[in-house]
Amino acid sequence: MSHHRETARAVSLIFILLITLLGSGCVSITYQQDALEKHLMSQQPQQAMVALDALKLGERDKLIYQLNKGMLLRMQGDIKASNETLEQSKVMIDKLDAVSLREQAAAVSINDSMRSYLPPIFERAMLHCVMALNYLELNDNNSARVEALQLDELLKQHKEKNPLPFAHYIIGLIFEANNELDDALIAYRKAYDDYRTSKTKIPLLLQQDLLRLTEHLGLDDEERKYQTEFQLKQWPTQAALQQQGQVVAIIFNGLIPRKHSQEINAQSFNNGQLHRISVPFYETRSPQVRSATLIIADQRSQTELLDQLDKHANANLSEQMPAIIARTIARVGVKNKVVDNARNQSPLLGLALNLATFISEQADTRAWNTLPQDILIARSVVAPGRYDLELKLDNQRSKAWPEIEIARQKIKFISWYWPNSNVTGKRPK
Amino acid sequence: MIRKVMTGTTLLALMLGGGLLSGCSTSVERMAVEESIDLSGDWNDTDSRLVSEEMIRDVLSRPWLSEFTAQKNKAPAVIVGEVKNLSHEHINVATFVGDMERELINAGKVEFVASKTERGEIRNERQDQELNARNDTAKAMGQEIGADFMLKGTINTILDTDGKTQVRYYQVDLTLISMADNRKVWVGQKKIKKLVKRPGMRW
Repeated sequence: MSHHRETARAVSLIFILLITLLGSGCVSITYQQDALEKHLMSQQPQQAMVALDALKLGERDKLIYQLNKGMLLRMQGDIKASNETLEQSKVMIDKLDAVSLREQAAAVSINDSMRSYLPPIFERAMLHCVMALNYLELNDNNSARVEALQLDELLKQHKEKNPLPFAHYIIGLIFEANNELDDALIAYRKAYDDYRTSKTKIPLLLQQDLLRLTEHLGLDDEERKYQTEFQLKQWPTQAALQQQGQVVAIIFNGLIPRKHSQEINAQSFNNGQLHRISVPFYETRSPQVRSATLIIADQRSQTELLDQLDKHANANLSEQMPAIIARTIARVGVKNKVVDNARNQSPLLGLALNLATFISEQADTRAWNTLPQDILIARSVVAPGRYDLELKLDNQRSKAWPEIEIARQKIKFISWYWPNSNVTGKRPK
Repeated sequence: MIRKVMTGTTLLALMLGGGLLSGCSTSVERMAVEESIDLSGDWNDTDSRLVSEEMIRDVLSRPWLSEFTAQKNKAPAVIVGEVKNLSHEHINVATFVGDMERELINAGKVEFVASKTERGEIRNERQDQELNARNDTAKAMGQEIGADFMLKGTINTILDTDGKTQVRYYQVDLTLISMADNRKVWVGQKKIKKLVKRPGMRW
């Protein structure tokens, strides 16, 4: 009689645990996103949005939904709705920035996905950059400037070990678009420092910007320093630019690599108990496009690589890894204790709990997966007038912006997202 | 006895259900427009109203007004130009400009000229009247009052942040410029300082 009761108790416990596990995000988000990625690759943002809506995202993943939705709305050309959605994401980030004791406790006892998703700094910086580009494309330079100031404040508060040159360069561009050249130079200097700190090649555009603005603002010593370092023979002067209009084209290229989980499973020799350790890692990807050309009348400008977001993603994960491992070890202790206590009451109950704790051990593979891998940039200076603009990728695909007015002393911003890329590796480094 | 227990249980269930439902439903409470409520620490309706009231009170109490009225023997015509948002926040400048226009008009000491957009709409209507309205009711073109002064300004912020604590310093600068000779006849400034503390913990 007592044996039957025990069996019934264990079976009902397994049932409850399975229900709990299904609801606790144990189905890895990486595998749910295949449909979304497929539609992204085939340049079908509307279909990707349907796939996003179909994802089983809980309250803890609401921010990921908002960020992806903002990016997909932008791809669909609904820039205003994109910014409204992304603005809501900012409010959510402010709220989630406070530590939740309940979620932390759940993370130490079940898995890391029990915490609400809070984007790392490079994703938060991209949030401001995407919004700023949206405003610039809507010709709302004042609102883009607000985003630049918020981004600058974010970067000041989180002085990253891994600097973000793209963020400072885009701040510089926004100040230039608002004709605030001294502030633009400050941002370009920070971008220059970031490239040097991260030992990355300084884009030719930034070299020219630094020379042009230091010359214009009469900072002779600094200009000489850049001349010696960059060894450029010529660059456009500010006086010449002031008689012309400009076009800046930004290409979001490739798709940021996705996170996967690496699992180590083991069984105890003493009591047969199952153990699992699961940590996230990034796959490697290669964008299908390497460069593009901005074509205005008979003038052609080649894009340059502004930044690689996968580097920032990997650097961020490496930085987070000690804390992830510490939580994983703490979980092993907590789960072992629970299983041992249950086994002392009943071997069947112990087995049920061991299975549940084993299955629930999943790495947190959540991320803003609709971000690009690379940011490419091209800049062209033209006489004021009306032009047909064209961006041509090196795979011969192109996009046109017909009859665009380029005004004197103004910068026209255009952008294109080409997410096609190939997964080149799914093994942890 | 059993009925008593049943009644008690039903009551408890209703209370629990009611409590849960009230926690989930939207609650709306009407309040006075003047009531000051700060939720996020961002620029809000109270800031907009207080700044516009104080600055318009200041501009109307300065000598330029009495000097102009004495010289020209009429009230000056004023227009509100661009108020540029140079702050860290997406501030709805239109409501701030609206608050200032209301304060200026209601003070009754100046004449107020419609904005550029409003003027365009009215001119279109006047053109339409010329074609379609009766002669004795149609309003003639070329009878507009040109503004004597333009009010322009900026909203700036300085942030000082340490972890979850932030001091937000707002500075609103307004300038009244004479349309005839570009003279700045009044410069006003209003500062607001807020201490915003964000929670470090949540449930």
